[in-house]
Formats: sequence, C-alpha cells, structure tokens
Amino acid sequence: MEMFLTLSGGFAALADWKVLAFMISGFLIGTFFGAMPGLTSVLAIALLLPITYTIDVIPALVMCASIFMAGMYSGSITATTINIPGAPSSMMTAIEGNRLMKKGLGANALGHAALGSMIGGSVGALLLMAFMPLAAELSLLIRTPGKFSLVLFALVVIIIVDKQNIPKGMAATCLGIMLATVGIDVLQPIPRFSFGTETLIEGIDIMPLVIGAFAVSEVLIQAQNWSSSLGQNLSQAKGLKIRRRDFLPPLSEIREIGLFTYLRSALIGYGIGILPGAGGSMAGFVSYAVARSGSKKPEEYGKGSREGIAAAESANNSMCGGAFVPMLMFGIPGDPTTAIVLGVLVINGLQPGPRLLENQADLLAPMLASLFISALVLIPLTLYLFGPYFVRIVSIPKGLLYSSIAVVALVGSYVATYSIFQMFLALIFGVLAFVMRKQGYSTVSLLLGFILGPDLEQYLRRALSLNDGNPMIFLTSPDSLFFLGLTLFAVYMILFRKPKAGPDPI
Amino acid sequence: MNGSQRFFRLGMLFPLFLLVLTAIYTAAAFDIRTQFTGDGEIGPRTIPLLVAICMYMTLLVVIFQELRRPTEEDAGTGLSRPLLVVGATAAYILLFRPIGYSLSTLLFVLALFRIFEFKPRQPVQFILYAIAVTAVFYGLFAGIFGVRLPALIGGVI
Repeated sequence: MEMFLTLSGGFAALADWKVLAFMISGFLIGTFFGAMPGLTSVLAIALLLPITYTIDVIPALVMCASIFMAGMYSGSITATTINIPGAPSSMMTAIEGNRLMKKGLGANALGHAALGSMIGGSVGALLLMAFMPLAAELSLLIRTPGKFSLVLFALVVIIIVDKQNIPKGMAATCLGIMLATVGIDVLQPIPRFSFGTETLIEGIDIMPLVIGAFAVSEVLIQAQNWSSSLGQNLSQAKGLKIRRRDFLPPLSEIREIGLFTYLRSALIGYGIGILPGAGGSMAGFVSYAVARSGSKKPEEYGKGSREGIAAAESANNSMCGGAFVPMLMFGIPGDPTTAIVLGVLVINGLQPGPRLLENQADLLAPMLASLFISALVLIPLTLYLFGPYFVRIVSIPKGLLYSSIAVVALVGSYVATYSIFQMFLALIFGVLAFVMRKQGYSTVSLLLGFILGPDLEQYLRRALSLNDGNPMIFLTSPDSLFFLGLTLFAVYMILFRKPKAGPDPI
Repeated sequence: MNGSQRFFRLGMLFPLFLLVLTAIYTAAAFDIRTQFTGDGEIGPRTIPLLVAICMYMTLLVVIFQELRRPTEEDAGTGLSRPLLVVGATAAYILLFRPIGYSLSTLLFVLALFRIFEFKPRQPVQFILYAIAVTAVFYGLFAGIFGVRLPALIGGVI
C-alpha cells in the first residue's frame, strides 16, 4: 500500500510543469538521438550527465528515463525508412520493417513498431514497479560475500557476452578497474596512484570518462568515417508521402500478431534487461528468434513480418524496465544507458541498494512514472504528431551535428566542476576510447569496470576481513555460492553450449 | 608483411601501450603505504596488483592474437581528420578560460565546420551557423541552466 502511494506520488510529480517539460524534452532528445544513425540514447544521457549538476535530481532522473525509452523506440524509424537502424537494438526491425517499406507499407511498419514499443515499454515499467519491493526484499538477503560474487557475476557476464573479443573485453574491464583505483582507497584514508599530484588524490570522476568514452570518441569516429553515405537512401525516403492515419495498424493485423506475442516478448525483454550487460540488442534478437520459431507464419520472416517487428520492439523497450532492477538494487547496471543513469544517481548522492527504495522512493517514483508514461503515451503520440517528418531527422547536416555534440560535450565537462582539467580528461578518455573502439575493445566494459571495480574491491576486502582472511567463505555462504554457480552457468551457456538447430538463416 | 610491419600497427601498438601503462601502475602500486592491516585483511595494494596481473595475462593473449591476425584491415583508414579534431579540441580547452567561452567556442566551431566540410563554399552561412551554434549553447548553459561560463572582458563576451 505504501509503495502504491509512493508510486502515485511519482505520477503526481509529473504534473509539475517543470518536471513535465524535462520529461517531454528528454523524450524528444531521446527520439532524435535514437533515430539518428550513429547517435544513441547512451550518448544523449552522457551529454546530459554534466547538466544534472545544475538541475534537481527528480527532473534529471525523469529526463534520463524518457530519453532511455524514446531512444529504444526511435531506432526503428530509420531502421524502417532507410534500412539503417538508428540504434543497435533495432537490427531486427530493420530486416522486417524495411521490407514492408519497399512494399509501400512503411507507415504500417512504423505503426507496428510503435505499438510493440508501447506495449513492451509499459509492461516493462509496470513489472519494474510491481517487483521492485520484492527485489529489494531479496537483495537484503545478500550479505557481503554474496555481494562480491554478484559483482563478479556481473563483470564476467559483461566480458563474455561478446564472445569474439573476450580478451579485449577483459583488458577493457581491467583498465576500468585500474582507473577506478586512482584516488583514496575504498576502506582506508590512503591515496593511491596520485603520482604526487593533488588533482589525482580526489580520484577520477565518472563524468569525463563518460563524456570522453561516449561523446568525444563518437565525434572522432565520425571524423574518421567521414562520408555522405546516407545520401542515396535519404533521397529515396524523402520522396515518400506518409499520411498520419497510415500509422495506425489495423485491428485485424494486431489480432493476428496476438496479445500473447506482445506479452511474451515483453517478458523476454524484461528478463534479459535484468542480466548485466545484455542490453536491447540481445532482447530484440532473442525475442525475434522465439517469435519466429513459434510463429504460424514463419515464411513471412525476412520478407516483412509484422509479428517480427512487434516481437523485437516489445522486447527492446521492455528491457528498459528490467535494466533498472539490478542498477537500483545492487548498483549493477543492466546496460550502458543505466550505467550512466547510475552516475546521475551517484552524483546526486543517491546510493543504490535496498535502502534506496525504503528511504528515497519519493525521488525514484517520478523516474519510474516517466518510464511508464513515455512508453504508454508519448510513443504513440509523437509518432502520430511527428511521424511524417521523422525521416527528415537524418537530413540534418552531420558537420553541424557533430560540431554541436563536441561543444556540448566539452562545455558540459567544464560546467560540472568548473575545471579545465576535467575538459582535458574528457579529451584524453575520448582519444583512448576512439582507439579502443577502432581496435574492438568494448568501451562499455571499460565503463562498467570503472563503476563496479570499487564495489568488487570493497566487498572482497570486507568479506575476507570479517572471516579472518578465509576465502572459503565465498564457497560456504549460500548467497555467494548461488552467484558463483550462476557465473559458471552463464559461462557454460554463453561460451560452451552448442546452439540448437535454429530457424533457417534469413 | 615483414616482422617490423607486423609489429608497428595499431592492433599491436595499443596493447603495448597498455602494457607500459600497466607497468607504471604496478610500480606505483608497490609504493602504496598501508596504514593498518587487521587479521585476515588484505591491504590497499592487493587488488591493484591482482588487476595488474590479470591485465598482463590478458594483454599477452591479445598480443599473441594480434601477431596471428592478418593485417590488411589497418590499411586505408586515415587518421588525419580525427587528429585535426583532437588538435582543435586541445586548442579550444587551452583557450577556453583565457579568451572566454564566446570567442573560443566560435573559433572551435569554425574549425570543426572546416574539418567536417560544413558549408565550405558558402562563407556567409558558414560564419552565421557558427555564431548560431555558439549562441544556442550559450543560451542553454548560461541562460537555462545558469552556468557561469568564462568571459573575455569583464564578463561582457
């Protein structure tokens, strides 16, 4: 009951015009960044991070949630219209949506993508709200050795998710942990790796790392890949005349897809969202594959399947709700976007954990409400209002766009602490991340190593200290054993299990 | 491809750079002074050393993989434009306080427009857009979010 009242308060907070304005502007920013190939909601929230220093925590979190939801949905716009997914999570939508586009049914495909996103996103948000108290209760059962094993589980999953680049993922994670050890020790007031400078005693802030790794490196990547390759596709799409009513999918098609498909996909997305490091791409792909294997019309897949679009989009938007669970309960982000939202929480003095829900639920509730409203209302509304203009988003000159991103990133890294040193750090991390991305090292692993490294160290040292240095505590403590078993299970499932004979390749 | 060419490419140089970085890190880890260590407690230098060992082992695997990898993919990727962006950004950061937000940002945006070939043959639009970008973000940071940005003369520009 108390939780229900708190959540109601969250919805009421959105009625404040200022908070509402942040939610809507966040949604529009998220839509823009999601729809623009090369830009993602991760970058949008990274650019927002310094601004959170200057605004209240509620508008900041509300804005983050709406950017997240919008970014996940709007990737389908260019995926459908010009066959270039605005976000990686829209790969499956690009396959099916663009086929429909070529048949003259682009608006119908976008309508199905929006409906799927709306159902998936709102179900994910509802599940998040419904199970948060339970997750908080469960998280209280995890003691220090268990927390260490949980963080270890998260790091291992993040590293092995990209099977092709495990050593590079590991190197990136280690680098992240190394950067996190700069500054005062996690348990004792001892400076580490300050190299005699006062600036480094304070440690490295998450902000220049995020700005550098996601914004500055993106500008450098775009500078290197400079070309106007979108031109041809864009000119095809520009000639299209799309009417607003075409965006509304006919009821017969929705019935054909079936409520079960939407709900199953939403549950898959939510479940994958809870896994650390999994993200929207995996949610969309798994849900699409499941829908295809159980479909009554599998022959339509790869040729413009509305069911495929619905499954992928429901799952990737539902993932948003799932990804918040480990982030809020354990400080372990489910995906890169929530990793940066975690930064927003920490900057504002909110410490993730079961007590967060007990003590500061009033600050979190508007964010959860924003996630729900963004999915339920804003997705269909913006598609209906701005749908015919969406394809023109990509016609914004890239030179203007990336110059603007560079200015926001650098001035943003200055405004947080009024420090030129922070700007230089952002540039250094930008160059580092640029080389890493070019060489196949994951910047997400770098960020998560940086975020989770101090927790890993703290829980390991505390657990050993409490048990006279006996490492067997990790094998005798049931919660720790559970997560170590889960780690082995994840390693087996991801690395060693041979895939069953799946559906025919597309 | 001969041995030296195989060695002097980014795929090899980057893990070597990380190796040097880790060596410096390891040396600094040995300098960490432990204030007190209770029974069974591990000190502030243990995790850095463990991470460094993990990094060395990982980098050896990466270097081994790189040595076995064909090297064609490094060819043809020009770094001149990213280097120009880095140079312009470094200059921007250095000038940001001395000449203030407005002038430094205007110069930075003009430089980036040139690098990204935005409106290269329309000088009037080229300058007007740069002024507009500078003004818009001034409005965003200083106007909407109330951030105090460096100014050139007595807070005028």
